[in-house]
Amino acid sequence: MSRLQRAGTFSLLLVVLVAVAFPFYWMLLTSFTPREALFKPPFRLVRWDFSLGNYRELLFATEFARYFVNSLIAAVGAIVLNVIAATLAGYGLTRFVFPGKKTFAFGTLFSYMFPPMLMAIPLYILFSALQMRNTYTGLILAHMAISLPLNIWLMWQYFQIVPLSLEEAAWTSGASRLAALRQVCLPSARPGILSVAIFSFALSWNDFTFAFILQTDRKMFTLPVGLASFVEQTGVHWGMVMAAAVLVSVPTFLLVFFLQRYLLSGLRTAG
Amino acid sequence: MAFSVRLEGVQKRFGRGAREVQAVRDLTLEIGEREFFTFVGPSGCGKTTTLRMIAGLETPTAGRIWFGGQDVTDLPPQKRDIAMVFQDIALFPYMTVRDNIGYPLRIAGLPRAQVNEKVEKVAATLGLSDKLGQKPGQLSGGQQQRVAIGRAIIKEPKVLLMDEPLSALDARLRVEMRTEILRLHREISSTIVYVTHDQVEAMTMSTRVAVMDQGRVLQVAPPRELFRRPADVTVATFIGTPAMNIIPATVVATPGGTAIELLGRSIPVGSRNRSALEGLKRIKVGVRPQALRLTSPGIGRIVGQVFLKEPLGLEDEVLVETDNGIRVKVITEAGSDFPEGAAVGLEAEASDLYLFHPDSGAVLLSGIR
Repeated sequence: MSRLQRAGTFSLLLVVLVAVAFPFYWMLLTSFTPREALFKPPFRLVRWDFSLGNYRELLFATEFARYFVNSLIAAVGAIVLNVIAATLAGYGLTRFVFPGKKTFAFGTLFSYMFPPMLMAIPLYILFSALQMRNTYTGLILAHMAISLPLNIWLMWQYFQIVPLSLEEAAWTSGASRLAALRQVCLPSARPGILSVAIFSFALSWNDFTFAFILQTDRKMFTLPVGLASFVEQTGVHWGMVMAAAVLVSVPTFLLVFFLQRYLLSGLRTAG
Repeated sequence: MAFSVRLEGVQKRFGRGAREVQAVRDLTLEIGEREFFTFVGPSGCGKTTTLRMIAGLETPTAGRIWFGGQDVTDLPPQKRDIAMVFQDIALFPYMTVRDNIGYPLRIAGLPRAQVNEKVEKVAATLGLSDKLGQKPGQLSGGQQQRVAIGRAIIKEPKVLLMDEPLSALDARLRVEMRTEILRLHREISSTIVYVTHDQVEAMTMSTRVAVMDQGRVLQVAPPRELFRRPADVTVATFIGTPAMNIIPATVVATPGGTAIELLGRSIPVGSRNRSALEGLKRIKVGVRPQALRLTSPGIGRIVGQVFLKEPLGLEDEVLVETDNGIRVKVITEAGSDFPEGAAVGLEAEASDLYLFHPDSGAVLLSGIR
């Protein structure tokens, strides 16, 4: 590659990088800017009046911490249940013969195509009848309703590439079906399982629709709903909203940062 | 102690209705204790299905399977005291060689120290002592196959099943591993049931061989007998390289009795063998390429032209087209004086001719006397 070509490539990358990264930078910058200074000219790209005031206010004057915990409980619950259900379903779909198998597999993919809003209202009625509104169980189940179909499909694809002879080798070595699944099948399907976990987390963590409709009690708000409520008050406290946005993106960032290797290989298989 | 394995009227069908496939039809045979028994046949003949039924990985549609005095038909593979080596090797990719070989013992709940001790012993037999810490992906194909064999023999199974274990290896390694497996068979006390499509493997390793085709066993015999006294035309052409020549012929009545007209030449059939040909007009004659000799063309000989000549090293494989337009393969000493296009005569001893029934293919006579 010639010098000129290299320079061209890098300047193009730089443009894209700026377009992608600038909003994040601005979010960080705003979150550390004192409230009084935020709308006072001059507006600079770099500023030194660094303050933790927004964060202090967010953590001590609002219900942010509670929303954060609520979101975390919903996300962890969704991850655990999704991983268990999708793994077993994917295993079953590839390893057993049963009537209606194809219909079931296509059905899961079909149900993934419903927009959340379409399911939110029936779920509201259903959960009202079951008194599951404003509960973690209800929210976790609702989140599973949107993430599980794709997760099952993902694990179904994954188990198809784990050779059956591996399990058969375990069985003829004396391992039970469950032991073979745990010791031989699951390690080979690990990238798929991590993809399921990350996908479940992302959908649950970012969900607004279900949380907004099902969790009417302020104490049960999740982060996206809670953040929206900051905006709806008389004025918008941008510094605090940005501080909240920073804290919300930290878990996502950490997850993707440490698991991106598996995430990529998972997407490659499923795609 | 090893087990004998007995199959009784075993059948296996896959699918239903119009898509039903008869993989194995009514199979009955007994494999002796400590025998090296091989199922051989072209792909799709039902040999692997048979092996998988012995392993418990498939359930027979009908019939029973016995290990010694025990009916194991309904037992899962875990409870059969078997081990199996798979065609695709099937090592556990996330485990080290040590953990792969030791897996059956760890599953059985043996203490770590004891497992390690046995693993090291097995690894030493297979020349894998310095590979124990590596993952299967870091090994060559031959080493991987050794690990798979190690995993199979470590718990000293009563029956050791091998499903085309050498087919993933290259030709040279295959020959090497053949010797290795034979040596192991002498050392361990298991009954070995082996499946292959390679008749050379079957002939060189086995105490007895079952030749299968289209779900049926055509013949069960020791290798030498299979070669010398094939039960029918399919076995005859499957066993031996190059394949036996099959030539159409007619049975004729002569003043002296009965004779066979083969490519324009008459071969008298002795009175002892006459009854085998009773009522037949057309038959098939088989002759191995090694039993044929090239001569100068002459009266009373089968004559033809050298069509193609392939040097094999010590020998030449010569394809001769006879005057009737039938092509016959002959193995001759290398460098014989018949170039391509030359007119030649063909000679064979009458005792080297096999006569087969024209429809059923069953052998009528092995050698005319």
